[in-house]
Amino acid sequence: MQANRRELFAALMAAAAAQRVSSQDGPVTIPGKRPMIVHNDRPEDLETPMKYFDTWVTPVDAFFVRQHIPRPAPIDPAAHRVQISGMVSKAAQLSLADLEKLPQHTVSATLECTGNGRAFYSPKVPGIQWGRGAVGNAEWTGPRLGDVLKMAGLDDGAKHVEIDGADSGLAQTPDFLRSMPMEKAMHPATLLALKMNGESPQIHGFPVRLIVPGWDGTSWVKWVTRLTAKVEMSSGFFMNPGYRYPKYARPPGAPAIPAELEVIEGMPVKSTLTAPEDGAKTAIGPLMIRGFAWAGENAIERVDVSTDGGARWQAAELSTQKLPFAWRLFTLKWTPAAPGYYTVMSRATDTAGRVQPIVPAWNPSGYLWNGIDRVGITVEKA
Amino acid sequence: MMRFLLVVTIAAASWGADQATLEKGQKEEQRACLPCHSLRLIHSQRLSRAAWGRELDKMAGWGTKYSDRDALLEYLVATYGDDKPVTPPAISEDGRKTKQ
Repeated sequence: MQANRRELFAALMAAAAAQRVSSQDGPVTIPGKRPMIVHNDRPEDLETPMKYFDTWVTPVDAFFVRQHIPRPAPIDPAAHRVQISGMVSKAAQLSLADLEKLPQHTVSATLECTGNGRAFYSPKVPGIQWGRGAVGNAEWTGPRLGDVLKMAGLDDGAKHVEIDGADSGLAQTPDFLRSMPMEKAMHPATLLALKMNGESPQIHGFPVRLIVPGWDGTSWVKWVTRLTAKVEMSSGFFMNPGYRYPKYARPPGAPAIPAELEVIEGMPVKSTLTAPEDGAKTAIGPLMIRGFAWAGENAIERVDVSTDGGARWQAAELSTQKLPFAWRLFTLKWTPAAPGYYTVMSRATDTAGRVQPIVPAWNPSGYLWNGIDRVGITVEKA
Repeated sequence: MMRFLLVVTIAAASWGADQATLEKGQKEEQRACLPCHSLRLIHSQRLSRAAWGRELDKMAGWGTKYSDRDALLEYLVATYGDDKPVTPPAISEDGRKTKQ
């Protein structure tokens, strides 16, 4: 949202002074959240610890948070409006009641930060140094974006939808604005979510969050205030150069070639081990290896697990239904034959035949890490 | 005497920036960076001199006014350079009973 940035900046400075913002990285509590891995607390960039990933639906209080710019001031739901503008015959200001009157749909979809796993790239790249937990799976409920656009009399010539949220950049930090092609906007799974796991989305974009199943988290705009139908994709930092990926892979450490960067649409195939925990020690005996796997707009076909550093692989059991957009949980019962240190690995394959690579392509912004996952554990004598 | 000066010069170069510059850089970090975000965002990263320089330029483009950019850069390279070990991020306190 465009705001008087000088005013906003002054207000923030005053707020920071009032809170006696510490120059030390001291203890921090995030309202509504369990203990989380804190990459940044102002604004909030919180990663989910592996131990919370034991259910198909990730609870809201354990779900990761990525803020590019500070959260907007508290929103009064009764006063909140979503403006529909641009190439529509009936421009509108929709209230939450208007959105609730439209048919409501629920989609289960995995949301992953585009930079999840950035910390694993070498050489290191700037940005939040996410490990493995900037991802979660939730049930999102609300009207279809397509129904909202059709109701407003969408013009056939409109090829993109621009989405803005209630948050504003500080100083001259660019506003968080995104657009997506009309085909994805009209997809029946693309929603304006009013609920997350049946609850208010809170820090995850209350009261209206865009849900773009199968696409990277950057597309899922929070606190939606405006939808504009237009011919061209949006410009602005968060469309270009932000959130672009090299069309042709570059050698590790090489600068991007701006003309060869493309907007990220969709997500690769990936799996993550949630148990045992990396670095764990356990007494010799039967163990359950667990994890989750997902593949953007595709579904997961299989997950293979190795307990010997990738020499031999065996198929894990997939415990939940095969759906596009949502992750599948996998398990493998394993009894180590002897004490010692083991490298456990997981490798997912999706319904389109994509397989997790050993070495994901390095890229200058550290996006889309999907290397075969691995944890190390020590099995001790009984 | 010349040999002594040469040794001192080489030693200073290999130690990197002097303590006074680093202290100035740390103060500049608080002055220039804290208004918009907490320092964890910086302290969690390990970047080369060139990459820290690009970050400072990016932030200048977004409205940050530096009074001592050189000292800040020296401080970042000396403390959070890509040759420095990574420290694990903090874990927040339980906020489930804290009002949202």
